[in-house]
Amino acid sequence: MTDMFEKLAQSVIDGEPDDTSTLAKEALEQGLDPLKCITEGLTKGIQKVGELFASGDYFLPELIIGADAMKEGLEILEPALLGEQKREVVAQVVLGTVEGDLHEIGKTLVGTMLTANGFQVKDIGVDQPASAFVDAAKEVDATIVGASALLTTTMLQQEKLVQALEEAGLKPKVKVMVGGAPVTETYAKKIGADGYAEDAISAVDLAFRLADAPA
Amino acid sequence: MSSERQIIEPIRTPYKLSLLGNDQLNDLQEATLTILENTGVQFPSEKALAIFSERSADVDHESQVVKIPRELVFKAMSTVPRYFTLGARNPEFDLKLQDGVTYFTNDGCGHEVVDSVTGQRRASRQSDVGMMARINDYLSSMAFSWTMVSAQDRGVTSPLHEMDVTWRNNTKHYQSVTMMGEKLCRYGVEMATVLRGSLEEVRKRPPISLIVCTIAPLVQDKEAIEGALVLGEAGIPIVVMSMPTMGTTAPATYAGALAMADAEIISATVLMQLANPGAPVFHSILHAWADPRTAAYVGYALDARVRYAPVEMAHHWGMPALGGAFGTESPELNSWQSAAEVTTDPLLVSLAGAEIVTGLGLRNTYTLLYPEAIILDSDIYHRARHSLLEMDVSPETLAVDVVESVKPGGHFLSQKHTRKYMRTAMKRTILQQLDSAGQYRDPVEYAREKVAWILANHHPESPPADVQKEINQILATADKELKV
Repeated sequence: MTDMFEKLAQSVIDGEPDDTSTLAKEALEQGLDPLKCITEGLTKGIQKVGELFASGDYFLPELIIGADAMKEGLEILEPALLGEQKREVVAQVVLGTVEGDLHEIGKTLVGTMLTANGFQVKDIGVDQPASAFVDAAKEVDATIVGASALLTTTMLQQEKLVQALEEAGLKPKVKVMVGGAPVTETYAKKIGADGYAEDAISAVDLAFRLADAPA
Repeated sequence: MSSERQIIEPIRTPYKLSLLGNDQLNDLQEATLTILENTGVQFPSEKALAIFSERSADVDHESQVVKIPRELVFKAMSTVPRYFTLGARNPEFDLKLQDGVTYFTNDGCGHEVVDSVTGQRRASRQSDVGMMARINDYLSSMAFSWTMVSAQDRGVTSPLHEMDVTWRNNTKHYQSVTMMGEKLCRYGVEMATVLRGSLEEVRKRPPISLIVCTIAPLVQDKEAIEGALVLGEAGIPIVVMSMPTMGTTAPATYAGALAMADAEIISATVLMQLANPGAPVFHSILHAWADPRTAAYVGYALDARVRYAPVEMAHHWGMPALGGAFGTESPELNSWQSAAEVTTDPLLVSLAGAEIVTGLGLRNTYTLLYPEAIILDSDIYHRARHSLLEMDVSPETLAVDVVESVKPGGHFLSQKHTRKYMRTAMKRTILQQLDSAGQYRDPVEYAREKVAWILANHHPESPPADVQKEINQILATADKELKV
């Protein structure tokens, strides 16, 4: 059993999504507890990936492929969770790139780093209207909504998102974090966002603060 | 920065830049021959004059001017080797001169140091020579070693002590910039012979070479030329360097200055070949301007179109060339000027095909040492080195299958191909060194730490104890004989 958890963790560390998927299926066939497969296998693997990234041993591709492997595993294991079982997460996060903007990598990196640090991330993709963020936040009972914008023309949508969350009655419970090349701390304050992060690493610190959780 | 532990990374390139056409090269050579035949070059050395007299050159013993007929020039130049080996203490660092490879070294020979402890300027000393030799030994940008600053605390025998302290801190080829005169050079040959074990081994893999400078216009330095003859006899390579200043010691036109400087170099090379046929000699012209208002020395004027044309002139004669680079006039460690003046140097000199190049790491027109400057200059060097590498175009690097799998609008970070190549494909400059928080570091702070790290951790093997003992005896004898 321990061996299977280690294999799952290692497949995430090695960045082999196909192996993770195969191992997750094997684990269920063997009757292993899916929650333990997640907490003792996948989560430990992605935590190690995060540590290796933080120490400079891993680079972005290793981080992203590790997260991909975890995602593959979760897709198989989470539907098999029994009864009231839920994996423990720091907070629920909705992430996306705002309407009119097709840039993906920034928010993907943030999502990966948050996942590696114990957050559960729902990535709604690129070119998403404010209403899609609101709907997703309601669906997962989000604590944080993160919106990325890479253009001066699309960053205006971040303000619309803050307004939409207010109108939906989700604020101040739901915190908004914004990022992207043209976005600044000053702009974030001006539009009523709760936080701004310059890069994926500082986004994790920010998310912990917004979730009021120990980093 | 590039991987820098105990390897040499010269500039290797398939690319070539021709600054001069064949007709221009022939015209320059014809001008040189005319100067040598009609005007001549002054050799204030009885030894040199005697060698020329024996070979029927037109020697005026009173003025000490030698006029050399073109037949004699061509005959003598026919024995100059185009390629040879510069030996190193560590055989892995032997430099085999070859087409498409350019070996760089540090600058020389400065006389002031910005002390890393006090931050104050002071006169250079032997310990500075040793310190920079050790840093040179570590850096992959450095293929061989130059006398970076002078050991002013060692007096007239300083060139010998500079060589000794370099050997104790460096395992690469050493090119002395300061050794002059027959007596000093005989001691130098003796030290090299002890280091190698025999004169025959010195000839095969000479561990040292020597820069000798002419005095423009058209004068040879007695001490330099007589020292060069001693080293030539031992098969030790010589670089004959002319530094014409346009408008004062040379014509104010490029072609005129280059032809005149060429005549200085070729006359010395002819002498070397007449004395010791086959003696290895490099050709080097480092021209500069005299400011037309102040006569100040200006190495980097706006128009530097023929900065590396002398490399082609050398090759036209069948000689290897030493090119000059990184001679900023800025006294600052890291000003706009200190980078802007030199940035194209390593690119152009390598494209011109110089075999060896000096020199990284000094400021204030080759005079002022900040120990960390060589780290900053190495960054400029590695930018040029990578720029001149041949691009790898293959199915693996084209990655068409990877592009197909990502599809429009996706990203490549999830691809195993990216994982395989991204880490090493982007070469980090000194501006992209990460701190523990993933932020880019201050380059000067990084450079200073790197110098400190090298000095604390890199300890090249010294010569064997018995060899060092003999070298010490030679130094003691030289000190006794030559010191005033």
